[in-house]
Amino acid sequence: MDPMESKGAESQPSTVGPVEVVNSIRERTITENSMVILLQGLQGEVTTVDLRNESTARGRVVNVDAFMNIRLEDVLYRDRRGQLTQLQDLFITGRNIRYVHIPDHMDIMKTIESQLAKIHRVRNFGSEGGGRKEFAKKTK
Amino acid sequence: MVLLKNLQPPTEGVRHEQAETTAVMDGQRLGCGTLYVAETRLSWFDSSGLGFSLEYPSIGLHAISRDVSAYPQEHLYVMVNGKLNSEKAADDDDDDHDGSSDEIRFVPSDKAALESMFSAMCECQALHPDPEDDDSDNDFEGEEYDVEEAEHGHADIPTFYTCDEGLSALTQEGQATLERLEGMLAQSVAQQYHMAGVRTEETKAEFEDGMEVDTAAMEAGQFEDADVEHW
Repeated sequence: MDPMESKGAESQPSTVGPVEVVNSIRERTITENSMVILLQGLQGEVTTVDLRNESTARGRVVNVDAFMNIRLEDVLYRDRRGQLTQLQDLFITGRNIRYVHIPDHMDIMKTIESQLAKIHRVRNFGSEGGGRKEFAKKTK
Repeated sequence: MVLLKNLQPPTEGVRHEQAETTAVMDGQRLGCGTLYVAETRLSWFDSSGLGFSLEYPSIGLHAISRDVSAYPQEHLYVMVNGKLNSEKAADDDDDDHDGSSDEIRFVPSDKAALESMFSAMCECQALHPDPEDDDSDNDFEGEEYDVEEAEHGHADIPTFYTCDEGLSALTQEGQATLERLEGMLAQSVAQQYHMAGVRTEETKAEFEDGMEVDTAAMEAGQFEDADVEHW
């Protein structure tokens, strides 16, 4: 057996580190058309995530991808029995999430609008002076 | 409780490999071995070749635990949906209502490797999004869904204005589109286009797909009868 060397972050790094730009077109489309875009605006905020198995995790949002996978840091994790554990980094699969609490101080509409603006900036990158023109897409 | 199988460690798509890693499943130490974080599955094998694999869709969450008051050693914590030994598929909803889940801890001898192990798992987990989706719009792949394009592409939408009343009903976006299309009209008569999407610098018009443009003659003919009134 010849094990391959461990590679670095090669694939879409959408769940590794604070990434503002969603990488694939598919993810961008999903994000733009669902409420996940609001969750992506939670980056940097401390909030609570309720899981479907009755446990909860409270920590700072590092990243949320188009599939609602959420990465938190400095987490206080409470399992369904009420037992508390501190976790440095936590990745929750989107499928396992029941609720994500939106902090009271957040303006939801503004957050959604600014997230949409970020996506549109990315999409329009190629048309205004920068980027290749051969396959320029129609811009909004 | 755990039945270790004699499987082969993955050889392809291994994002991270961590030797000298103890696996603890639901409190039971399985011994020391190597953890393989591969794109297709998460596997662990001890020195005798016995081990187990986990499919990413069955993993509910994973985390780095440095809280020695909760567990005496720093480790990578993995929570699996449903019972590991169950014949039922991991995505059976009943398991979630049960709340039953298995905990696996991977304790590497090199604690500094925990971040890499965690990151590799994040990447691989992201490769296995939940196939069940409520929203069929999520199936869009390839070309981006362009609202303008959809609206202009269909001539039978009820909000169809003619000429003057149309001009005043235009949004800012619509105005920009109008200007752009008028620019395209002007250029289509004057210039030759290359095939296969290679553009000259003069054409600042944004075409959605280079393949659509054939020859100048066809372009000119296409727009010959185009009038503002007909929009």
